[in-house]
Amino acid sequence: MTTTTFIIRNALRNKRRAFLSAMSVAVSLFLFVTLQVALRELTIPPEDIGASLRIAVRNKVSLAQPLPVRQLQVIEKIPGVAAVTPFSYFGGLFRNESFTTFAQFAVNPNRFTNVFVEAKASSEHLQAWIKDRGSCLVGLDTMERYDLKVGDRMLLTGTLYSADLDMKIVGTYQGTLDDRSVFFHHTYLDELTEDPGTVGTWWVRAASAEVAPQVIQSINSAFENTSSEVRAESERAFQMGFVSMWGNIKMLIDSICSAIVFTLLLVSVSTMSMAIRERFRELAILKAIGFRRNELLSFILAESLLLSLLGAVMGAGGAAWIFHYIDIQALSGGMFVYFEVTERMLGSAFLIAMVLGVLSGVVPGLSVCRMSVVDGLKTLD
Amino acid sequence: MLPIKYNAKNVVLRWRSTLATILGIAMVVAVYVMVQALAVGLEKSSANTGDPRNLMIVRKGSQSESSSIVTLEQYRSLLYSEWIEHDANDRPLVTADVLTLVNLPRREQNGEANTTLRGIGPMGKVLRPQVKLVEGRWFEPGKREVVVSKRLAARFANFDIGDRFKTGPDWLTVVGWFDAGNCAFDSEIWADSDEVRALFDRDSYSCLLVRPVNAEGLTVLTKLVEEDKRLQLLAKNEVAYYREQTMTATPIKWLGNFLATAMSIGAILAAMNTMYATVGARTREIGTLRVLGFRRRTIVLGLLIEGMLLCSIGGVFGCLLALPINGYATGTIGFESFSETVFEFTITPALASQGIVFSALIGLFGTLIPAIKASRTPVIDALKSL
Repeated sequence: MTTTTFIIRNALRNKRRAFLSAMSVAVSLFLFVTLQVALRELTIPPEDIGASLRIAVRNKVSLAQPLPVRQLQVIEKIPGVAAVTPFSYFGGLFRNESFTTFAQFAVNPNRFTNVFVEAKASSEHLQAWIKDRGSCLVGLDTMERYDLKVGDRMLLTGTLYSADLDMKIVGTYQGTLDDRSVFFHHTYLDELTEDPGTVGTWWVRAASAEVAPQVIQSINSAFENTSSEVRAESERAFQMGFVSMWGNIKMLIDSICSAIVFTLLLVSVSTMSMAIRERFRELAILKAIGFRRNELLSFILAESLLLSLLGAVMGAGGAAWIFHYIDIQALSGGMFVYFEVTERMLGSAFLIAMVLGVLSGVVPGLSVCRMSVVDGLKTLD
Repeated sequence: MLPIKYNAKNVVLRWRSTLATILGIAMVVAVYVMVQALAVGLEKSSANTGDPRNLMIVRKGSQSESSSIVTLEQYRSLLYSEWIEHDANDRPLVTADVLTLVNLPRREQNGEANTTLRGIGPMGKVLRPQVKLVEGRWFEPGKREVVVSKRLAARFANFDIGDRFKTGPDWLTVVGWFDAGNCAFDSEIWADSDEVRALFDRDSYSCLLVRPVNAEGLTVLTKLVEEDKRLQLLAKNEVAYYREQTMTATPIKWLGNFLATAMSIGAILAAMNTMYATVGARTREIGTLRVLGFRRRTIVLGLLIEGMLLCSIGGVFGCLLALPINGYATGTIGFESFSETVFEFTITPALASQGIVFSALIGLFGTLIPAIKASRTPVIDALKSL
């Protein structure tokens, strides 16, 4: 018998316990990874390719305060602005849903693809959309989720506006990080609300990454001391503004993660020491026939590491595998879209498993090393 | 039946090996109770809001007060209804509020968040007796003054009395703090209704709050508003309106249940491990019990009680661990209002008992298999084992 098989056999001699130990590590690490993924998705929104060039302009008071449509002429003339479109969140309810599951925005169809360059639609779809004021462009994900076809009607009940939309789906787009939204003519919204004078936000594309900061500054100062001061910021900063509103949620999830890791540690250490205490006599015999302390310690360490790493493979690896295959979007009602397990998370999960394995081996291992052979042989269970 | 004392003593006797299990279960229960305390606190804050005598009138289809619109004509058409109560000076008890979101910096450079600025009519305070001024004074209309909730003031910069903050083109001065007794108004800034309309260039109000003369008036007014097709408004009892604003609590509950499920699987595994070990160490003892005439099912029951007892200790301990958080104020974005919602972690006796029952169930499931296995060991083998 080689040392390796000796360790493996020892680890698996009590199959039930080995299974339970590895499983409890696996469950906890699964939970740990899941929470980390959720936290990442809530706090660090993924970035689109065009994001570095894109600038969001909202009312300085808050996002809920509209902007006057006359600002368009001023923004267009600012050097470094490549394209600009109005962008108003509609917040309608689809079918009989009780909350908004995908966003709808009123935009200028002629300018839309110049600002959101990664949204790819066939030119035929795009032309049809531009031509028909009562039509809309729908993200591929939403089309698939609701089993919609080009030519279907898109009916939305307004919650923020006292108007309902009735539009024809003339095309689809894909290629953005979140292909769920519906885009429609801003003029259609203006007509329904009888208010052609306001928009929700402006979205701007800067000509290059170098001029973007300058463009942001120019837009901000252009409307300073007017009745509608604006806050222009990069798409990233705009998203982080939403994240900031979550408040203490990040701290909450962080503390839950630490609680899980701590519990895990406690339980594994106790299980592992149970496994070792059970065979004090046998270890004493090993000692008696000439094995040295550090050899015994490394046997025990290797065994506990083996079990906890097995747990990590099942838990963290399992999480990565499951989240890759399930439809998280449908499961969470649209709250999460990607739910992607990063290498970093897998890394920290395995690191926790390593620490766990070492700690739960060292504690009982040291007491084995310290005991005298005679005492060890005397132990009964 | 085995005396409970036997089980209780066993739990204490093997305290070293059971301690880790107890602590583990305590952590699981503590996490569960804390997360659910968030959801309970949120729901309690919205359920606390309003006066049962009041009627809330909002735009049909709006999901919150801030996205509702009530025009001046609609307001006037309802103002002179005979079903509306009047005060001592014969003024109708009606307030036309206007709500707007204002993005403001948090204290300690902790980012920015939306807050709700509510403009109230002269009757706004009379209709909401639960809101009490605790420091400073009420705002004077026309002077660009506001009062803020004491709880909100603890979270946002420039909310101390005498401080000013800029929103839109104007500076607003905080002149007082109010306490609404832990309800939805505790997440708001209050100012004069028409002043807020002027500040933010709004033609209409957001919602109306009226006090009908009596219960009959409430029913009649509700029907009146509902049936008038020109109005396109919805009337609802104020308490019921706020009670239904619970969308924010839903994902938190979801998180709590998910955590509880996943962590309880881990805890059951841990409890199983412990019980296997305790049962294993007592094989001979169990054999002796069998010889003495105790039946298998008695032994299984006894062990189940022992496991549940063990885990319930963990449950109680977990509730105690979670208890200090009770009453701790926190805030997050409200999904209906799209603005900072302040509320308190609330641990109710019902929630605590849920936690303990939950821990007992972990004990039950964790012990079942080891207990059955132990009771099935043949008596002779059990007695022979060391």
